[in-house]
Amino acid sequence: MSWIPFKIGQPKKQIVSKTVERDFEREYDKLQKLEDQTKKLHKDMKKSTEADLAMSKAAVKISADLLSNPLCEQDQAFLDSMTALDTAMRRMDAFNQEKVNQIQKTVVDPLKKYSSVFPSLNMAVKRREQTLQDYKRLQAKVEKYEEKEKTGPVMVKLHQAKEELRPVKDDFEAKNKQLLDEMPKFYQSRIDYFQPSFEALIRAQVVYFTEMYKIFSELTDQIDQAGLTDEQRERETEAKLTELRALSIVADD
Amino acid sequence: MTPRGLSPIPSPAVDPEELRARKMKRRAKVIQELVQTEKDFLTDLELCIREVVQPLRNLMVVDVDRLFTNMETVCEVSAALLHRLHEAMADPDPEAVVIGDVFIQAKAALEDVFKIYCYHHDEANASLKSYEKDEEIKQHFTTCVLALKKIYDKEGKPNLLDMGSLLIKPVQRIMKYPLLLGELWHATPEDHTDYQPTQEAFTAAKIINININEFKRRKDIVMKYKRLEDDGTLRGKLNKFNIHSIRKKGDRFAGYLKILAGADTQVRDEVFDREEKLFRSLEKAARQLVKNVQCYLQYTQEMVSVAVQSVQDVKNIVKDSNKNDGNGLVHDNGYDPYKVFRDNLEHLVLTPLSSLHGMFTAPQKLIQKRYDKLLDYCSRLERSSSFSSSSSTTSSSLSPASEDPPGPAKRDYEALNALLVEELQRFNTAAYTILTNSVVFLVALLRGLMNNALMGAPSVHQLPPPLSNIAEVQNSIMDELNNLTFVKDNAQKLMERKVSFEKRDRKTAVPEVQHQTEEQRAWLLAEYPVNRLYQLKRKCNGCQEQDLSLLEGELVALIEDTDPMGSSSRWLVHTGGMQGYVYSTFLKQYNPLRDSQRAGQMAKEQPQQQPPATVDEDFDDLSLFVSGSGSSSLRSFKLSATDSCSILSGLQGELESTEDTEDTVDSEAQQYYAVYAFQARCEQELTLQEHQHVRILQFCDLGGNKEWWLAEANGQKGYVPANYLGRMSYA
Repeated sequence: MSWIPFKIGQPKKQIVSKTVERDFEREYDKLQKLEDQTKKLHKDMKKSTEADLAMSKAAVKISADLLSNPLCEQDQAFLDSMTALDTAMRRMDAFNQEKVNQIQKTVVDPLKKYSSVFPSLNMAVKRREQTLQDYKRLQAKVEKYEEKEKTGPVMVKLHQAKEELRPVKDDFEAKNKQLLDEMPKFYQSRIDYFQPSFEALIRAQVVYFTEMYKIFSELTDQIDQAGLTDEQRERETEAKLTELRALSIVADD
Repeated sequence: MTPRGLSPIPSPAVDPEELRARKMKRRAKVIQELVQTEKDFLTDLELCIREVVQPLRNLMVVDVDRLFTNMETVCEVSAALLHRLHEAMADPDPEAVVIGDVFIQAKAALEDVFKIYCYHHDEANASLKSYEKDEEIKQHFTTCVLALKKIYDKEGKPNLLDMGSLLIKPVQRIMKYPLLLGELWHATPEDHTDYQPTQEAFTAAKIINININEFKRRKDIVMKYKRLEDDGTLRGKLNKFNIHSIRKKGDRFAGYLKILAGADTQVRDEVFDREEKLFRSLEKAARQLVKNVQCYLQYTQEMVSVAVQSVQDVKNIVKDSNKNDGNGLVHDNGYDPYKVFRDNLEHLVLTPLSSLHGMFTAPQKLIQKRYDKLLDYCSRLERSSSFSSSSSTTSSSLSPASEDPPGPAKRDYEALNALLVEELQRFNTAAYTILTNSVVFLVALLRGLMNNALMGAPSVHQLPPPLSNIAEVQNSIMDELNNLTFVKDNAQKLMERKVSFEKRDRKTAVPEVQHQTEEQRAWLLAEYPVNRLYQLKRKCNGCQEQDLSLLEGELVALIEDTDPMGSSSRWLVHTGGMQGYVYSTFLKQYNPLRDSQRAGQMAKEQPQQQPPATVDEDFDDLSLFVSGSGSSSLRSFKLSATDSCSILSGLQGELESTEDTEDTVDSEAQQYYAVYAFQARCEQELTLQEHQHVRILQFCDLGGNKEWWLAEANGQKGYVPANYLGRMSYA
């Protein structure tokens, strides 16, 4: 696909046509961006799972501390409530762990595998580039000999140069075509590849939250003996706080 | 007019009826006084309110409530009391008049309202004083008071009035009740219906007063200790540091130690201990809950932000496609539910809990104080008990004295204890409620959050079924990808790179270079003259067509010293087996004597007595002139760098065999020069000047020491240190 342009004063001998080069660049750019995006997503997903786990642990700590408080020994009702709370929190933690594992399996690991293709791609592009350079160099050499007067040794050299050029040119063209063919395919594959992952992610989240809702609904039934509405409860708390403030032992100024 | 105090001891002559009648008369008078004073009191209050309080309130220059507290309420209560008194008095039959009940019914209201007023009276006075410093406000006060005075004057009751006297009226009134009621009681005959009620009322009035005092006292204690604690400045601390306090602290410390040692305190309060324990547990629970919830909230924040980011990333990846399954992707990135959650959590849980937690500190200080007082009290008790036990005879005189010291300690302790017991109970119950409420809120909020998060997301049923073969699907795609040529080609290369280098080298570096055989060498030697024989300095790999790959030391014969291109650096050579091109830099002239590879082998074959070959012209890096067969002293040569030390060994091999020709070496005149000037110290040594040329006759001295060389210069001979000499280089 190379065409030898005019030899007059062109700063850069166009071995490869501009359009082809442009196409190539475009495809490669897309893939490079995809590479960055997958890397970022991978990192963020990892951070997200870590944050998830930390959050869950904090929740368990809330209930664990309360359960270990001596109040539980004195007051049976309190003990019951706290036990229920603790159980619920631990279950939440377990579910969370499961969710994280699921996400790890269906999203994070596949992400990593997908990313592993990129180094090969980059290497292939590099090699194509190298071949292109060789090609250009040898092409220049051939042209140089062609310009010289046709003496014996020159012919020999020219012939030799042409011999050298041919395999390199073929190699380059093969590489070029291959990459131009395959890069779009690679790019397209991401949709099909990631769709199941994301669906799995959503699914994991939905399942988790549904379960959590159930757990906490049960828990509110267990804990909330007084059965006040939220406003009532809030007002009661406020009233108690005011009462406390009115006590003389509490610093009042 | 009415005699105070008890009735005089009746003389047996006095008639009980007479006595009774007298009592009844007195009773009537007391009732009259009671009602009248109450009426006056009420009027005073009303006037005060009308003429002073309300105008001042309208002016809004002073804090009326602070000055007058609940005077209006006092007024109301008083009015009600008066009304009922009138009712009670309405009964025409003096025997049926029951005053006591009125007070008994009213006692609760009286106590409440007067308690507050009395408690705040001190503050009111203080603020009054501060107000009076202000001229303008003082003017207002004076105006009001004058107005009031005018009214009084009109009624013919000239009183010395000022604000202070107005304020103190309710206080005076409540203190009057016990006195009045006491009189009433004493004036009431025992068989009167009102006797019991009045007695009760009298007691009640006394109790009211005691309570009011106690209430005030408690508040005072708290204020006192609170203020003491607050004064944390260095000066404040130093001020406290006097003998009294030191002694106190010393006693207390002893008390602490005793308790630590396990001694039981004499004074215990079970109730208090229980309450205190509860208090402590509540404090711990509140503290931990606040901390944990805050921590949880923080993590939730982090998680949300990262989750939002992830969703964004996902969107980016899928963006280019036309397929818009973005709906499914808008899952729990609801930062909205989380924001609501967080706000509510702060409002409903964290704020109350923090307030609650803050309230624990003051009681804790008081508890500590109480403990100190307890120790004081205990130590006093012990001292007093030891006093009394050791001095039984003088106990009667001593005990009052020893009673005294425990007095204040006991009082303080008991006051604090009582206060704390009562209030801690209330505190604990309230705190407990708050705590449980908070927990319930937390749970409710979490539930709400979970619910909200699900909003907008498809329910479990609506979701596409989980691809149980998700792994398979993805793996198949990966396989496809891996089948892409560029992956296949390069992945392997990358793998190879990761694997150890030696393996790769072993794989690729398959030497196909054949070694030159003996026959080939022999043939070359036979066919070609020596001057056309060359030896490989090092291993050479042929890169171009027709290039030869040869090993170091192999022998080649030069055929052409140019190549068809005309380059004279590429020579056509014969290896005895084949012909090919070799770069001339790899070649050096063949010197059979110094054939390193043959040094051992050829020692027998080749004659050792061959004349030394001429100096080799391309010993790399060396400007050394090495004679082919040097003397044994050649061994002391300092060769800076040799191509291969095998050459040296070859040299040595040769040298050893050619020792008898050392004279000829001498005549070759190795030229040296003195690098440094050298001063001879004895006859045998030779003085040299810098850069002087010398001829070395021997490369060691008579004793064989290689450090000294026999040199000749200017016709003189002598020994010279070898390291002062440098070679003349004819490179």
